Amino acid sequence: MSGELLWWLNLLVGVGIFTLLATSLNLINGHAGMFHLGHHGFWALGAYATAWWTIRLDGELSGPVLYGTSLLLSTGVAAVGGLAVGLPCLRLRGDYLAIATLAFGEVVRILIQNSDKGFLGGSQGVRLPRVFGEFEGEAAKLEFRALSLALVATLCVLAIWAISNFIRSGHGRRLLAVAQDETAAGLMGIDPTRPRVLAFVIGAAVAGLAGGVHAHFEGSLAPQEFEFMQTVKMFLIVVLGGMGSLSGCVVGAFLVVGTERLLARAGGAIADWWQVIFPMVLAIMIVVRPQGIFGRRELSDWFRALRRRRAAP
Amino acid sequence: MSESLFSCRELTKQYGGLTAVRNVGIEIRKGELVGLIGPNGAGKTTCFNLITGADEPSAGRIRFCGSDVTNTRDFRMARLGVARTFQNIRLWREMNVLDNVRAVCRGSSQYGLLAAFLRLPRFRRGEREATNEARSLLKLLGLDGKEAELAGDLPYGDQRRLEIARALALRPRLLLLDEPAAGMNPSEKSDLMRTIQAIRAEFDLTILLIDHDMKFVMGICERIYVLDHGEEIAQGSPEEIRRNPKVIEAYLGEQA
Repeated sequence: MSGELLWWLNLLVGVGIFTLLATSLNLINGHAGMFHLGHHGFWALGAYATAWWTIRLDGELSGPVLYGTSLLLSTGVAAVGGLAVGLPCLRLRGDYLAIATLAFGEVVRILIQNSDKGFLGGSQGVRLPRVFGEFEGEAAKLEFRALSLALVATLCVLAIWAISNFIRSGHGRRLLAVAQDETAAGLMGIDPTRPRVLAFVIGAAVAGLAGGVHAHFEGSLAPQEFEFMQTVKMFLIVVLGGMGSLSGCVVGAFLVVGTERLLARAGGAIADWWQVIFPMVLAIMIVVRPQGIFGRRELSDWFRALRRRRAAP
Repeated sequence: MSESLFSCRELTKQYGGLTAVRNVGIEIRKGELVGLIGPNGAGKTTCFNLITGADEPSAGRIRFCGSDVTNTRDFRMARLGVARTFQNIRLWREMNVLDNVRAVCRGSSQYGLLAAFLRLPRFRRGEREATNEARSLLKLLGLDGKEAELAGDLPYGDQRRLEIARALALRPRLLLLDEPAAGMNPSEKSDLMRTIQAIRAEFDLTILLIDHDMKFVMGICERIYVLDHGEEIAQGSPEEIRRNPKVIEAYLGEQA
């Protein structure tokens, strides 16, 4: 029974982490309209920043402080990474931007893979000290996963709230304007580079945060995890939910991560079928409903419409 | 005679071997409503692109408000006070009507990133200001009640008016209208004429407009420049232009 519960908690934390990754990818690809394929690189930067910090300062800071500061560091490191990628790539469009960002993601993975064993663990990976103490027995494991779920859910709510505030502000409007018609935006006094760089930095920062959460939750990291297929998965979530819809990301994360984990649990030959199913779903989706489940709409639009209908006699 | 707001001299633009605009000189005084006409391909829109900084001139100087602004980038020109509308409407089609205007309003750039993330008071103040300004502009152009519709879903005439509202949100000193009456029927055209006169008075605007419809241009402009094959062939009052043999030839030549 408790094994079952552990599995579900595990799944939900995974959904939470991928919700963070997909919403941040969506900001860059969906809202800003930039074809970015290196999100796994930002994720890896965040995860390894947390690992590095936690290993160095284990025992010197208390658990919650270590957890909090490591997530801040992850967010910051990934944001700097976003700036470093965003600035030189701004002149690139479409396919060229996709190639450059994809290369970035792969470079991050390969650098970590070839890093010094004492620095980031190299190809062997690293183990993180457990900031909330080592847990023995089912009950302690359950407690840790429930706590992780509460944390990741809180972070998801905060991140989605902040991103949706950003999009519905002047900054967000200028971003959408540049994405939809750059020429018109320029002639209306909007500097087209600023919103683009901003989207890159914010998107990278949130992916870094997801990396930090992931590192603490898993307790160990291996560079092979942060492969291109992870970005494909995030991409599928975004396309399934709807480019430019935050609600779509949450629903998409449930569908994609849920399917993957359920197939893995079924085990045997079926376990790897997600690698066949996902690209097929992606292809079908693009043919049948390219705008995704939600299009650019949000759940809140629907609630508002419902309330209006109820208010009307 | 009031002071000069805008002038360009010997403005030339070459695309490879093709000269789209050659030695064009335009001077506009504060408060004037000036027309720029000419047959298709005469270089009118190219002139607009050079004036607004969307394109760099190959030669010539541009002055605005007493300073040299040649080779100033488009968004800087816009901030200096040069706004425009487009011949082929360029709204942000996936954004709603209100946001198309609010994206340009000053209020929406008066707060930082943190204020936006956390909806701080500065954000609310800036947004309130932007929303009020956008609403009053929409009302002025008869678009109130449509603010939640997507710009791309609006009927053609409304899209043209929304472009004007968006340009006014820049609080420009010089407004460039690129074929504002294109595709409109006579009654819509006379509405538009009234609207242009109204915004001109209200915002103390100087306007340069391009149009094909001679009746429309003659009816509204105080002074007219005529371009043909990238060169300025005439300028003067509507009466002078109507009688100018070169202009008659350019237009009749096109039809023949």
